[in-house]
Amino acid sequence: MSLKLREAVVRRGAFRLSADFETPTDGVTVVFGPSGAGKSMLLSSIAGLHRLETGRVEFNGRVLEDAGARSRIAAHARGIGLVFQDARLFPHRTVRGNIEYAERRRPAARNAPIVVEIARRLEIEELLDRPVRNLSGGERSRVALARAIVSAPELLLLDEPFAALDGRRRRAFLTLLRELSREQSLPMMIVTHQVDEVAEVADNVVAVTAGRVVGHGAASDVMRRAEFAALLDRRDLGARVDAGAVAGGHGGGGVWIRADSVLLAAEEPRGISARNVWRGTIASIVREIDGAVLVSLATEAGYISARITPEALADLQLDEGATAWAVVKSHAL
Amino acid sequence: MLTAEEMQILATSLGVAGRAVLFSLPVAIAFAWALSRPKFPGKWIVDAVAHLPLVLPPVLVGYFLLLLFGVRGPVGSWLRDAFGIQLAFTAEGAALATAVMAFPLMVRAIRLSFEATDRGLFEAAAVLRAGPWDRFWSMALPLAWPGVLAGAVTAFAAGLGEFGAVITFASNVEGQTQTLPLAIYSALQVPNGEETALRLAAISMTAAVTGLVLAELLQHWARRRLEA
Repeated sequence: MSLKLREAVVRRGAFRLSADFETPTDGVTVVFGPSGAGKSMLLSSIAGLHRLETGRVEFNGRVLEDAGARSRIAAHARGIGLVFQDARLFPHRTVRGNIEYAERRRPAARNAPIVVEIARRLEIEELLDRPVRNLSGGERSRVALARAIVSAPELLLLDEPFAALDGRRRRAFLTLLRELSREQSLPMMIVTHQVDEVAEVADNVVAVTAGRVVGHGAASDVMRRAEFAALLDRRDLGARVDAGAVAGGHGGGGVWIRADSVLLAAEEPRGISARNVWRGTIASIVREIDGAVLVSLATEAGYISARITPEALADLQLDEGATAWAVVKSHAL
Repeated sequence: MLTAEEMQILATSLGVAGRAVLFSLPVAIAFAWALSRPKFPGKWIVDAVAHLPLVLPPVLVGYFLLLLFGVRGPVGSWLRDAFGIQLAFTAEGAALATAVMAFPLMVRAIRLSFEATDRGLFEAAAVLRAGPWDRFWSMALPLAWPGVLAGAVTAFAAGLGEFGAVITFASNVEGQTQTLPLAIYSALQVPNGEETALRLAAISMTAAVTGLVLAELLQHWARRRLEA
């Protein structure tokens, strides 16, 4: 499974998105970037809702659009699903009517998820016969997701589908997406601008900023790169660690460890409550604009950064190449 | 309450207006849909054609219809030779004239409704594999339903009162093309016809107001059903 965009340019008013990348789409691919970066537009273009000005889009070797050759498969014939941020439920149909709209248009040859089963899985069974106008934000998200899954697309794009949810329920929804992707063998491409969510759910990452794709590939790889760090708020800087390497980490995927939540020790810490202690070698020491120091440690769990004060650095007498311990409370993960 | 003659006139009016709406509704929907689309070449021509009956004197519309659909007109003679259908001076002709006059009203109401629909819903339908025709039938039309309904009822109410085009093209034949306004006109032409005219006027008013109220109610009901 792979998605390929070659010198693709899309324009909407004054905004211009250019993309040139190829990414595997197995499992979950996250499109990450700050607001206004063009993430939604990238998804709409792949789905066929925006016309390419130049370039081409291919999915699994099938050319979806080639501006040069003036060939274009319309959105409805691409077999690519899209869950919109605002759900876009059909107001003249009930919840069931919305889902059945997708079911009725699904090609017979596609492996068919059962409406009732999906409804049960997404906990919207009791809502099935309700009109959509009284649903809460979270319910709308789940109905939109059910509708898209029942349509059995070959690739499902999700544009911040959990925008209407609060923190804890967002987490649960994300886990659910990951499970559904696996159960239905349905590759997903999810937009978000929360770095923790990227670490948690992404197998692959496409990083977007200011209308350009600046990084793509396996999450463990992309999230380590400078181009990715450049997209983050200062307080979000940190490192991705495989969930398996972390006490208190859950499921597959990874965990984002913020530099602000990491303590640094010059000697092996003993008798402390923190569950995560990694030994490593200092790979780099970078002074930030306001004087704080970002220390990057190469550990067996991968790189971990810690933000400390210059005074602390002087006390610890650490230099590049020295051995140190990174300490993280499970609670911070 | 009503005399047999008045019943006859009311029935003619309802029949003419009803058929006028029935036949022009699909055409009006097509025009409204085209006009609600983003710019396309020749859009201004479609727009002009749809609005022409609004600005032309009704008598002129009737005269044009006579030139086109009259027994010696190009379309009229063909209809007679091929199907044995005559439109001029018949109830069907009155319906045609009424339809043409009510057309802009219908197009306007339906077009506004099409334009007010959230385009985002069409995109949502497209990514669920609904093609353009499918989207029209499953999304655009049901969502514009209140406007279509309002357009049809308003056109029907207005159609009950069409005078100039009908009398020119279909003439004023008692029991066939004599609708309410034509009957009122005839009553006013005879001495002591005021009472008849007044009674007919009351019937005409009642029918028109009922139509408008009905349109309002239907629209209200349909909108409530669609509210997101």
